[in-house]
Amino acid sequence: MAFPAVKHKHVKFLFLLPAVIWMLAFTVYPLFYALYMSFNKVKLTGPDTFVGLANYARIFGDYYVGNSAKLTTIMVLTTVTLQVAIGLTLALIMNAEIAGRRYFRTLFSLPIFVAPIAMGYLGHTIFFEQGGPLNIVLTALGLRAIPWLSHPTWGFVAVCMIEVWIATPFCFMVLLAGLQGLPEEVYEAARLDYKSEWQIFKRITLPLLAPVILIVFLLRLVSALRILDTVYALTAGGPGTATEVYSLITYRAAMKFFDFGYGAALAYVLLFVVMLILMFFFRRMREVYE
Amino acid sequence: MFRKTSLAARTLFIVILVTATVWTAFPFYWGIITSLKDRENVNLWFSVGLPFVHYTPTLENWIGELMLPEMQHALLNSITAAFVSTVFCVIIGSLAGYALARFRFERIPNKDITIWFFSLRVLPPVAVAIPFFIMMKTLGLLDTRTALVLSYTTFNLPFAVIIMRSLFLELPPEMEEAALVDGYTRFGAFFRVALPLSAPALVSTALICLAAAWNEFLFALLLVSKNAMTIPVLISGGEHSRGVEFWMVATRGMLAILPPALMALLVQRFIVRGLTFGAVKG
Repeated sequence: MAFPAVKHKHVKFLFLLPAVIWMLAFTVYPLFYALYMSFNKVKLTGPDTFVGLANYARIFGDYYVGNSAKLTTIMVLTTVTLQVAIGLTLALIMNAEIAGRRYFRTLFSLPIFVAPIAMGYLGHTIFFEQGGPLNIVLTALGLRAIPWLSHPTWGFVAVCMIEVWIATPFCFMVLLAGLQGLPEEVYEAARLDYKSEWQIFKRITLPLLAPVILIVFLLRLVSALRILDTVYALTAGGPGTATEVYSLITYRAAMKFFDFGYGAALAYVLLFVVMLILMFFFRRMREVYE
Repeated sequence: MFRKTSLAARTLFIVILVTATVWTAFPFYWGIITSLKDRENVNLWFSVGLPFVHYTPTLENWIGELMLPEMQHALLNSITAAFVSTVFCVIIGSLAGYALARFRFERIPNKDITIWFFSLRVLPPVAVAIPFFIMMKTLGLLDTRTALVLSYTTFNLPFAVIIMRSLFLELPPEMEEAALVDGYTRFGAFFRVALPLSAPALVSTALICLAAAWNEFLFALLLVSKNAMTIPVLISGGEHSRGVEFWMVATRGMLAILPPALMALLVQRFIVRGLTFGAVKG
């Protein structure tokens, strides 16, 4: 790894330090600052007052936070499970030699960088209740039109649908790459031992693919937890409080009610959850970056 | 796999593929055709149908939106901030990625430094956003492109570091060693040898940073009010004031959606590795 011919022992720090300093200044320092804020009543115009754990104590009595934590958890678990499951199904089908595989792959990769905010915005036309395309198709099939954006449950479903639309391609692409990286010899041997494709899938493919599935699941989980854009653009937390996801109430606490201390405390609770998830995957990530 | 699949299974696969195709393509199709409709056609149910067949497409909406001064201003801001932050990310990120790939850091092992960057990338942005807002307010940078560049670079930089590290690891070190023997400095070997050799991957990394910066919403929403308005913030304020003007919604939506979608096409072969931080090779 290291070169024999390094002249200056410290040149390596010159390479690394700009990035480290940048992250210390613009991420680590703000994180500590947020921690400080979470123990204070922050006023932008005057001095802060130390309030101890009051902000945190308030979180546990706040009905809106409880509601938001519940619906965010349901939304994250539902959408991530669907994304991974659909992504895996598509990847398994596309791993077979089917005609036009390249075109499907290209098509399925298109939504990968789509701005969630723009997609939520476009959702206003797709989920439009009187004459939007979805309801037109439903009524043409003889079904009832769905109150997508005016009914709490359907508003929640609409947000989930957009989330699945945006992130399934990522799962699909990564899992397909994972499948294509599996050694062919193993399958040749497996075909002698197991008769059905289902057996091969269960005994060979799934265990071999497990590390990739784990990575996909981790990355989806941590980015699903930050969900904000689609909700902000499509339902703004409504109808009622049906889609008030966690980042939205945190944002509102700070930027709408100017309660920065409370906002910071809310953010820290989310940060704590993400850290727990990361710790769970820590050993796996250490292996990856070995 | 599925070599000896039955007819029933094969039919099922085709049904799934067709469904997935319609599901994926429909929002693009719908956004584009709606943006090409004029005001009379937009609410007619048969306008779900094909351009030229069921209605005459028009570029009126696109021209109208692109002529709006606020839209031009936002486009300029989005493009400038995304490009400048990408340049920062690629330079600072490739330096650090190179360091992690080529040198050994004793006190903290390289892999732990890499995980440190990784954890900074995946933490919820809302935790950083609030103090970041106050920092920018203190520095007098609210509503400036500088603040946008600082925030975009901050969330893209860890990605650039990790992905460049994985690229340099795959580059054989012999060329750089030869350059060092020829009297190049370490920086010379990096800029003249390692960087050019990894140019294609560097471009892909830059495109992913660009797309992420173009799409960024939360920080821009906090930091921007008028002067530094970006496309995502501009469109987020639109639906309430303009009601159900679908042609406008679709045009603005597609304006934000299409550039990154095109970038996705360009970096297709690189996407998997890029988006898994090098954990899965594409």
